[in-house]
Amino acid sequence: MAVRALTAPSFKRSPAARRSPAWLLAPVALLYGALALLPIGVILRLGLSDGGAPLRTVLRSPLLLRAAENTVVIGLLTTVVAVLLGTLLAVALWRAGPTLRSLLWACILLPFWTGVLIKNFAWASLLQDNGVVNAMLLALGATDHPLTLLHTRFAVIVGMVHYVLPYAVFPIFTSLRAIDPLLERAARSLGARPRRVVWLVILPLIIPGLSNAALLVFIVACGFFITPVILGAPSDMMVANLIDYYVHDLVDFNAAAALSILILAAIAVLIVLQQMLPKEGQHGTA
Amino acid sequence: MARREAAGRAVLYATCMPVLLFLLLPSLVIVPMALTKGQMIQFPPIWISVHSFTDYIEDPQWFRSTVLSFEVAALAVAIGCITGSAAALALHDRRFPGKGLVTGAIMAPIVVPLVVLALGGYMVFAWLHLIGGWIAIGLLHGMLVTPYVFISVQTSLVAALNPLLVRSARSLGAGRMSVLRHVIWPAIRPGVLAGALLGFAVSFDEVVIALFLQGPNAVTLPVRMFTAIQFELTPKVAASASLFLLLSVLVLLAQAAVLRRREAA
Amino acid sequence: MNVALPIVATASLGEARHYLSVEHVWKSYTSGVHVVRDVSFTLAPGEFLTLLGPSGSGKTSTLMMVAGFEAPTRGAIRVDGRDVAQLPPERRNFGVVFQGYALFPHMSVLDNVAFPLRMKGLGGAARRRAAMEMLDKVGLADFATRRPRALSGGQQQRVALARALVFEPDALLLDEPLGALDRKLRESLQIEIKELQRRLGVSILFVTHDQDEAMMMSDRIAVMQDGEIAQLGAPEEVYLHPETPFVAGFLGDTNLLRGQCIAQPGGHAVVRFADGVIGPARLSRGGRRPGIGDAVLVSIRPERIGLLQPDAAADCVVEGVVADRVFLGRHTRLEVAALGRMLIVSAAVQPSADVVPGATVRLGWSGEDAQILNESDGQTPIRHGRA
Repeated sequence: MAVRALTAPSFKRSPAARRSPAWLLAPVALLYGALALLPIGVILRLGLSDGGAPLRTVLRSPLLLRAAENTVVIGLLTTVVAVLLGTLLAVALWRAGPTLRSLLWACILLPFWTGVLIKNFAWASLLQDNGVVNAMLLALGATDHPLTLLHTRFAVIVGMVHYVLPYAVFPIFTSLRAIDPLLERAARSLGARPRRVVWLVILPLIIPGLSNAALLVFIVACGFFITPVILGAPSDMMVANLIDYYVHDLVDFNAAAALSILILAAIAVLIVLQQMLPKEGQHGTA
Repeated sequence: MARREAAGRAVLYATCMPVLLFLLLPSLVIVPMALTKGQMIQFPPIWISVHSFTDYIEDPQWFRSTVLSFEVAALAVAIGCITGSAAALALHDRRFPGKGLVTGAIMAPIVVPLVVLALGGYMVFAWLHLIGGWIAIGLLHGMLVTPYVFISVQTSLVAALNPLLVRSARSLGAGRMSVLRHVIWPAIRPGVLAGALLGFAVSFDEVVIALFLQGPNAVTLPVRMFTAIQFELTPKVAASASLFLLLSVLVLLAQAAVLRRREAA
Repeated sequence: MNVALPIVATASLGEARHYLSVEHVWKSYTSGVHVVRDVSFTLAPGEFLTLLGPSGSGKTSTLMMVAGFEAPTRGAIRVDGRDVAQLPPERRNFGVVFQGYALFPHMSVLDNVAFPLRMKGLGGAARRRAAMEMLDKVGLADFATRRPRALSGGQQQRVALARALVFEPDALLLDEPLGALDRKLRESLQIEIKELQRRLGVSILFVTHDQDEAMMMSDRIAVMQDGEIAQLGAPEEVYLHPETPFVAGFLGDTNLLRGQCIAQPGGHAVVRFADGVIGPARLSRGGRRPGIGDAVLVSIRPERIGLLQPDAAADCVVEGVVADRVFLGRHTRLEVAALGRMLIVSAAVQPSADVVPGATVRLGWSGEDAQILNESDGQTPIRHGRA
């Protein structure tokens, strides 16, 4: 018995001797400090200089209104579509046997690792007037002349959903996996038909995963730069493009900085709001 | 009863097919587009030819950009591996108030819009007179790569590092460095490798930061492609895109192999 | 865990008395492995039947087939004569308690218990009232608004029971429900479940690997091995008169003695053991009847071997030398060298002080307690019994 006490490990917290030294955090702190905090500091200084004049310039600009509206609308549409499709894929992954699951993962991860540029380039080629999509539509007789698909908001959303879909699948799949497999059996043994099992048991338990996915996708979608340029029309300019405009076209760094502050503030607010949502998951927290 | 379940499952997978097709479609058309004889991008290609690939390799600017992208990615991965692994080690097995915040901060580069990082980075490096060099891009990419390595190593630590090994090594007189080399490193090696591969892909493909920090001698391949796509859409673009794709597939396969070995461990 | 259960005279399950019959059920997977072979048993109204066996014996698979989560490859499952094979689990009206309880984490305890009533279409107020009554019966009325994770393991188990009983099922199916609990808690819950069953008159099909649990709670035990039922009978029957070496060894310590059948007067056998010792033994019910001169294996429980006074008599008397003596609280365990091997003797009453290692003792047992085992399964148990 005494021997047992001597060698019994306690995994709750390692004693200091076993943990890695805290100074290992120094490299990442240094890097981030130099390349993230410092720049953000500079951005804050520039954007709030002159008593906040650049902020006022930006806020009064009609371009901002346009860009913000585009960003929110496109972001929301992308989020809704991505979460819906993401849930579909996540459920398929969840139910699949090992071989099918690997196959599905491969299909989901390949675009994840293909660069954003490649993807947009491919979509541009696919959606152009003599591209594959139009060719198929003509062949199927769905239309008698090529539809203008490229340089439209539709193309932007297609490109964005394609990019963010893996980001949506991960959190939803994680929360599906966390569900106790016996819960479904329990519900059915108590008289619940399969559809009611989904509505009353599974869905409530993946809500945290869904909300995480939605937040992640929305934030990523709002920061998009490349896709609106390649696949969208000038009227689809998003806030990231606006920053680029201020920097490279108007050469007004202060305004660019001010706009960045607004964007960061908006993201911070979103994250705080989402954290405040009730998080009733499998283990009581998300 | 089992038949009804099987039917439901069939419907599920059938509905997934179009989505999977949607996901794979872009990747599938790139290579055929590159193999065209004409001087214009078209799909389906009229004649098969590899002149686009030779044009691409022989163009000194494009070649230089490709090499530069590799250099940048190498630097980014080197930095990211050190910072990400160190951070994962430091946070492993340690509980303190605010750990969530620290983890969130480390993961921030994935979520914060790249433009903001690019703008800030631009201003800092301009102030340091380092604009126009590939090192600036590499450093900033290093920050981008860090979260990926961090997650990967963190997963390795949780899955593969047996705390009893550390304890018994210590009790046998091993110092910190020995423990690191003989116990910890083998456990996290797959994680570091997997994270490095992913980070490489992320850095190689990154456009926005490279766009903001570019200089006459520091034009990465993606930036060159970005400009080309907007102004001169030749098959060269498709050729370099094909090579990108090849790289992604290789990285994907390599990562899968590394991770499978980790699962087996 | 002291819960006062009020005695309720009426069986609140009303007239739901059903007769479950499992008939020649087989289950195999596409790999060709048979997990359940030719299992048949019945569950009478109000009966407590336990499927007892080691892991891999097919007991949980059998339960899952009764519940409807797996389909038998062959055979039938009937309730009141009606074949239920086509019925999905949600239409079978069995209450199931799973390992790990499977309580819905996002619902309160009350909503958990009310869930099956909601599935039956009961209105909100009515089902909450019924659920409250049920919670009261298991002594958890105060926890109605809490979440399951706020409850201890034993409390969660009682909620799971309440949930499975509230809709008056035809039978209650329990899959090793007490496995995760510590011994004291497990014992008190065993008593509670038994009480609940007696009061409500519900039939119970219970799965466990714990032989003490099975014997304590069951009206009948089906001992399972490798997908088959090795023996089915009341606890005393199965314990005192096991039919195979596996059953003998699984239910407790036993002595397995080799001998030769030299006579079969009437319904009994006479066996010659080593050292020329001769004694009567019971023939096994099933299996081949040993012929005269055949080798047989006889099982005698340690507690059925008595220490004899010098002048006392018994059906079979053996002399031996004490090799070891250990006081274990409830009984004293002796190892005695006799019949060319070690015999384990369990004495409830402390033997006298002169029974120490080295001392010679006289052991005796009754012919009723010597059980000839049917060895057709070719298996000797891994633990306890020494052939």
